[in-house]
Amino acid sequence: MERSIADELYSDIGEPKAELGQTSNTDVKESHSLDGKDDEWCEDELSWNGSDGELDRSSDLDREWQRRKKQFHSIGYRDGLLAGKEASAQEGFNVGFKESVLVGYDWGLVRGVTGALNCLSGELRGKIIESQETKTKFHNLYESMNNLSTTDALKLYNNDLSKRRVEEGKQNSDGSVLDSYHQQLRSLVLESPAIEVQFRDKSNAVLSTGQDPSLE
Amino acid sequence: MDHQDDIFGASVNLEDTHLKDGYQEGYEAGFASGKDDGHEVGLKTGFITGEELGFYRGCIDVWNSVIRVEPTCFTTRVQKKIKEMDELVSKYPIMEPENETVTDIMGSLRLKFRAICATLNLKLEYNGYPKAADPNEIQF
Repeated sequence: MERSIADELYSDIGEPKAELGQTSNTDVKESHSLDGKDDEWCEDELSWNGSDGELDRSSDLDREWQRRKKQFHSIGYRDGLLAGKEASAQEGFNVGFKESVLVGYDWGLVRGVTGALNCLSGELRGKIIESQETKTKFHNLYESMNNLSTTDALKLYNNDLSKRRVEEGKQNSDGSVLDSYHQQLRSLVLESPAIEVQFRDKSNAVLSTGQDPSLE
Repeated sequence: MDHQDDIFGASVNLEDTHLKDGYQEGYEAGFASGKDDGHEVGLKTGFITGEELGFYRGCIDVWNSVIRVEPTCFTTRVQKKIKEMDELVSKYPIMEPENETVTDIMGSLRLKFRAICATLNLKLEYNGYPKAADPNEIQF
């Protein structure tokens, strides 16, 4: 009876097979006998097929998860990268700014003093600088400064910085090219009592304007 | 919806975790590189700003020295402008790049400087001085 049930059950499968392959009755019988031999084999096949499907499905899912993980991870990464940059850029900017602004100030001061002196009429210049020698020195300083653009000065400053990084331990800023211009100005101003220049107090990080009593 | 008891709850939370993990990783990487980038820009901007301020200070000091010796050499209008510039440079918060007043003070300094130079017919600008054509160049 099992066979007839099997026939009934698998007739749909068996018939098209027979039609397709033009198989003879013996073939069908053989297959039937095979089918009938053990139902376990069928179950085995089913379960095997089932597990195969599950494997396929789970690896699909796995791939999908990996894809989504990657996708969400990189969305987060991109947002985080920007936020992190933004958070620290201002901080880094402030540090760099404070490091260089006074160096630039000292350098600009030389530009301003020598430039303004150079523009004065000979008569007025004579009134604040007595010696011809000092006048020439001021003019020479102006000439050599005027040849240097801000970009050139930045390059010099950058060189000074990398030099200082190499010679770490030496704290004195002497020997830097920019500073030598500033020192020249200082000595020239000392030679010219009529010129009063508000130099920055080097021991203090603040500007000595001599006007703000709140600055100690 | 904070509490998702349905089967999608777990996947939504997981996506959230990936998002957060990625964010954290990105933030750390960004923080490190942003600091260096910012430092570089800060060094440059600081120098340029300092140079301009120092330049004004130098000019003002020379003009004031001349006025002390020859009080009538400049018109009162020019002298007033010089005095205003003097005050502005003095009050400029040079060590506070984030101070909100710096842009206004610098703008006002540039205007006064230009006015003085025009009146006295001086050509003082150095190579690198912010051009009149783009006064916003250095502002941030």
